[in-house]
Amino acid sequence: MIRPINNFAARFGITISLNENLIVNKRGQYFLLSESIKLPSIDFLYAGIYLGRSKEGDFLPSFSLLDIIAKKEANRIIVDRKTEWLFICGRDVFKRGIRRIFGSKEEDAYVLVLNSHGECLGFGRIIEDLNKRTEDPAVENMLDIGDFLRRERAL
Amino acid sequence: MSGRRFFTNRYQELGWEYEDVKPRQAIRVNTMNAGKMATLLDRLSSIGMRLKRIPFLENGFWVDRPKFSVGATPEYLLGLYSIQEAAAQIPVTLFTQLEGKKVLDACAAPGGKTVQLADIMRGSGLIVALDVKKRRLMALSNQLERCRVKNAVVYHLDARKISQFQTNFDRILLDMPCSGNFSVDRNWFARRTIEDVKRNAARQREILSATIRALESDGEIIYATCSLEPEENELNIHWAIQNFPVQVESINCHGQEGLTKVFGKHLDSSVSKCRRIWPGLTQGFFACKLKRRSAS
Repeated sequence: MIRPINNFAARFGITISLNENLIVNKRGQYFLLSESIKLPSIDFLYAGIYLGRSKEGDFLPSFSLLDIIAKKEANRIIVDRKTEWLFICGRDVFKRGIRRIFGSKEEDAYVLVLNSHGECLGFGRIIEDLNKRTEDPAVENMLDIGDFLRRERAL
Repeated sequence: MSGRRFFTNRYQELGWEYEDVKPRQAIRVNTMNAGKMATLLDRLSSIGMRLKRIPFLENGFWVDRPKFSVGATPEYLLGLYSIQEAAAQIPVTLFTQLEGKKVLDACAAPGGKTVQLADIMRGSGLIVALDVKKRRLMALSNQLERCRVKNAVVYHLDARKISQFQTNFDRILLDMPCSGNFSVDRNWFARRTIEDVKRNAARQREILSATIRALESDGEIIYATCSLEPEENELNIHWAIQNFPVQVESINCHGQEGLTKVFGKHLDSSVSKCRRIWPGLTQGFFACKLKRRSAS
């Protein structure tokens, strides 16, 4: 049951260990419960830590899962304030907006995108080797916290 | 029976002179995510957010004439603070000890108070959050994810059916669906009638009745509305203490004593321990703490 989550984490160059006995799959949505959460038999909509959902073969992570991944030595980039704002607005990341890089710099790897406070803003996919000099977008925006606003508008 | 004159005459009879009020925007710092308060305040100041501490709240701040949407900053989206009107921040702070408790948030959407409960509980215990409107529960779920709440479970359930859980709760928050008030709804006087008020009051009694039965001995209920109408406030509390093994507890917060004489009817003197907030510094509000008398 935990395979989609593990596979997703692996794309950041790490493994995570979650207690599988505490993970519930509810219609493709994954929730991590804690020992203190004893669920009655009534069908719930949300419980504990939301980890993400499977959709058409893809895994769409939650921001809580990205936080869990960020606690490990995952691939990550730290961006400047202007890039932080553009990223939250759904834009890709240009090389010039990246202050620091940790982990893989190779194309197709996933990287967490962090601000200067070390807070996770989302994640992206490297589309231009980060060792190269380029004026083109280097990291494709896959998910950013501006998604909360987009969800609200969609409600 | 409706209209501005009808309702403002009622308020006058209850001792308050009507004045037009527009509540100020307020935020509440999510201390579980924000780290040091001073650091966050510096950070918000650096992006141009001018804040003024709300004197009767520990983590609440008024936002002074914001030049941008305070609901679209990275700090908001990271769950470091929530947007919550000042009076609406009061009810959750009235509980005695929340850490490690089993808490029912009976009318939870859109989730501002659920997040506040989680913040005070520091991730301990359990919050069971209910609402009848599924669409609003999506907003609640988004709030929980945004603010990294870990100890809540959300159900699409009418609080009047709480007996389905077959469990009791240590603390129950009843942020009741209510008639609202004019200070947060420009068209309130045009939209509301006394029949609406009575219908809401009846529904509130049903919710109160069902949830008191799910309250542990010595457990606490915080009853809150943003209605100014005594039918939804003092009269419901008077009815509750007459009909159930609960008593009104003293609370120390912003506002005036609850009314004990309403349109010629004398209520139990303990109803004065409730808090009635007429619009002014905040929107209109009402809060009360009920405690279940122990079985002995």
